[in-house]
Amino acid sequence: MKSIWQTVLLLGVLAILALFALGLRNDPHEIPSPLVNRPAPDFAVQALDGQPIRLADQRGKWVLVNFWGSWCVSCVAEHPYLLDLARATRARSDFVIIGVDFKDTEQGAAQFLARHGNPGYRHAFDPAQKIAIDWGVYGAPESYLVDPSGMIRVKQTGPLYPGWFEKVALPLMEAKP
Amino acid sequence: MWIELGHFAAILAFLLCITQSGVTLLGIYRSQPVWVRIGKQASMVAFLLLTLAVGTVVAAFLTHDFSVRYVAEHASLELPVFYLATALWGGHEGSLLFWAWLLALFNAIAIWRHWSSHTRSLPWILVILGAMLAGFLVLILFLSSPFDRLIPPPGNGRDLNPMLQDPGMVFHPPFLYMGYVGFAIPYAFAMAALITGQAGDEWILATRRWTLFAWVTLTIGIVFGAYWAYYVLGWGGYWAWDPVENASFMPWLTATAFLHSVMVQERRGLFKTWNLFLIITTFALSLLGTFLVRSGVLSSVHAFASDPSRGVYILVFMSILLLFSFGVLVLRAELLRNPIQLESLLSKESAFLFNNLLLVTAALTVLLGTLYPLAVETLSATKVSVGPPYYNKVFIPIMLGILLLMGIGPLISWRRALPARLKRDFPIPVGLALVGVLLAVLLDISHPYGVVTVALMLFVVGSHSLDLWRGVQARASMAFWHALRALLARNKRRYGGLMVHLGIVMMCGGFIGSGLFQQELDLTLAPGDSVQLGRWTVTLERMGEAAKYNWTAVEATFRAQNGQSSVIMKAQKRNYGKRSQPITEAAIHTTWREDLYIVLGDPVKENLWNFRIYRNPLVAWLWWGAAMMVCGVIFAMLQGRRSASFTSSPSPDGVQP
Repeated sequence: MKSIWQTVLLLGVLAILALFALGLRNDPHEIPSPLVNRPAPDFAVQALDGQPIRLADQRGKWVLVNFWGSWCVSCVAEHPYLLDLARATRARSDFVIIGVDFKDTEQGAAQFLARHGNPGYRHAFDPAQKIAIDWGVYGAPESYLVDPSGMIRVKQTGPLYPGWFEKVALPLMEAKP
Repeated sequence: MWIELGHFAAILAFLLCITQSGVTLLGIYRSQPVWVRIGKQASMVAFLLLTLAVGTVVAAFLTHDFSVRYVAEHASLELPVFYLATALWGGHEGSLLFWAWLLALFNAIAIWRHWSSHTRSLPWILVILGAMLAGFLVLILFLSSPFDRLIPPPGNGRDLNPMLQDPGMVFHPPFLYMGYVGFAIPYAFAMAALITGQAGDEWILATRRWTLFAWVTLTIGIVFGAYWAYYVLGWGGYWAWDPVENASFMPWLTATAFLHSVMVQERRGLFKTWNLFLIITTFALSLLGTFLVRSGVLSSVHAFASDPSRGVYILVFMSILLLFSFGVLVLRAELLRNPIQLESLLSKESAFLFNNLLLVTAALTVLLGTLYPLAVETLSATKVSVGPPYYNKVFIPIMLGILLLMGIGPLISWRRALPARLKRDFPIPVGLALVGVLLAVLLDISHPYGVVTVALMLFVVGSHSLDLWRGVQARASMAFWHALRALLARNKRRYGGLMVHLGIVMMCGGFIGSGLFQQELDLTLAPGDSVQLGRWTVTLERMGEAAKYNWTAVEATFRAQNGQSSVIMKAQKRNYGKRSQPITEAAIHTTWREDLYIVLGDPVKENLWNFRIYRNPLVAWLWWGAAMMVCGVIFAMLQGRRSASFTSSPSPDGVQP
């Protein structure tokens, strides 16, 4: 009787420790998106430049969809990398970046880009957060990598970081035959 | 220059801790008392060195030395001086240093107090505490050093997280840490008792005050946390079953079980292994709390920076400690086989047994609720969260059971309760419980748990008053007040404990009031608008601005009227500039009946603002109940050790050779 309790006690302790050991590999801030490996919800809205913009038009290319807003503090931190990334990938024909400026005003967005630098790619304007809700955006910034067939392959919660493209995007893009 | 001195002192302290542990261990095995004494001196010097190390970090804060990374990250020129001094525990590195310093302090006090009286177990205590402190210092020195420099130094610091710039910050963490670390001493005594085979009553008598001290500081820490959450987070509640809250609550539950079951061991010599298990578990859960908070496996409102290497180290450290402690317990438990059995189910011992089972079950349900999301996430990569619905369903019934036992406890005698006495004593509390049911109906409490709680509250009050009354009656020769004073003075421990119970009853009133009768209004108001909530008429008088220390705020001024009395209430949304997340400062007007609680939200448009207004009945009872618990424990701690050992004499096998 007593030895059963002893075994249960030790196994319980071991189980908890094992759980922690496995749990340590997770990042608690990462929220899995049910959209990964699903078709990206399409959008066709007015861009910040006043012209229409449609995601499906980019079929055949890898698209980095970056959700941001001028109200978002982390977006300021992320911005230098987006400027670099846009410059470095401008020559690529298989990769484009689209910004989605959500929950924002046109003046706010224009001020943000004037102040922190304009990366040159286009931005869908989503003041009523319609696109953001379709995509299940939880906070800003959030970025999605959409493959040439229109499937979401990667979700990045929080700012993109220097080296992200080489570490995350390129392997996927090059794995494609 | 100074911080390097502190760093150097911490490194020396680390080496001394290894000495404390290693040399003492050798001394034990080679029977060299001199070596053990070296270990003792090492622990004292280590404490002094750590004090110096903590002092240099505090000094760096006070002198705005932003070339120290930790200072640059957690302070600024604008930070008021009382937060500067306490910013020591405003972040990960400093918290750990503070933890280690407390451990060294308690270690030194324990050695000093018990050196001559516990000659056999103290060497082992030196070994255990020295190893533990060394383990923490590895974490501090190599993985999260508060002594690092930042070159070139910035002109100003990043400031303390505005959420932490609150009086709650000054009290909540240190009390919580004192509680966590305080359990290290009874834990070390228990381990020493197991290892030396003297697992009788000696360790329990030696650590009675330590345990009470740790328990009361943990209680204060938890309640301060709840209070802080209540008036800063602005959601009208005080407890959210957040993983980090749970982490502090679990050791509290097992420690509460320990405080009770220890009495059974003292009086009747029962539950010896169980007590060892409880104190080891309590300390293990304290460490688990530290692990959960510091490693970043769980996300919560307390989310601190997660760093994988730290997490791995803390996990390894905790694994060694847990496997060692529980391993020793399992291996040595045979020593404690007990010839004494429970005599009757109707006895104080069995009431304590059930109290223990319920408290441990409660701790287990909290542990399950806390770990379940982690397990699901780890095994299936989906996110779940376990919230109040789970805890309300499983936790409240357990607590009601404990409340029932709390009422029965004082009325029932040791060994075997006499039916005649039961018949004499129970009608009054049971009658009061029935009155409680009526009262609940009159008060319009419809929730069955609410009704049961009110009945049990009166039951407990009834049985406790009756107990006191009988005690006074037994001294019939004296005048009432004389008798009462003599009674309380002779049994500080007992009546201190009963006072804690009444504090808990009072808190239960707060739980019912705020849990079942909270009213909430979510609305937009323009200056001049009025709204009715309960018996209060709340008028938004004006919107304005305010500034103090290092913040500016939007301020809504309300007039709350109720009959003749009228109060001015100011709800703010503070902006601390550097870290631009605004902080709500709820306006709270407290009366014994209810709190009026106003939170300023976002502006809707020009001159129109969002507000949430709560009426939180009986919340003040929580804080008063907690204060009563603290007074009760302090009263119980006044009782010296002599009378405690007197009560333990019936157990013949108390001290083994």
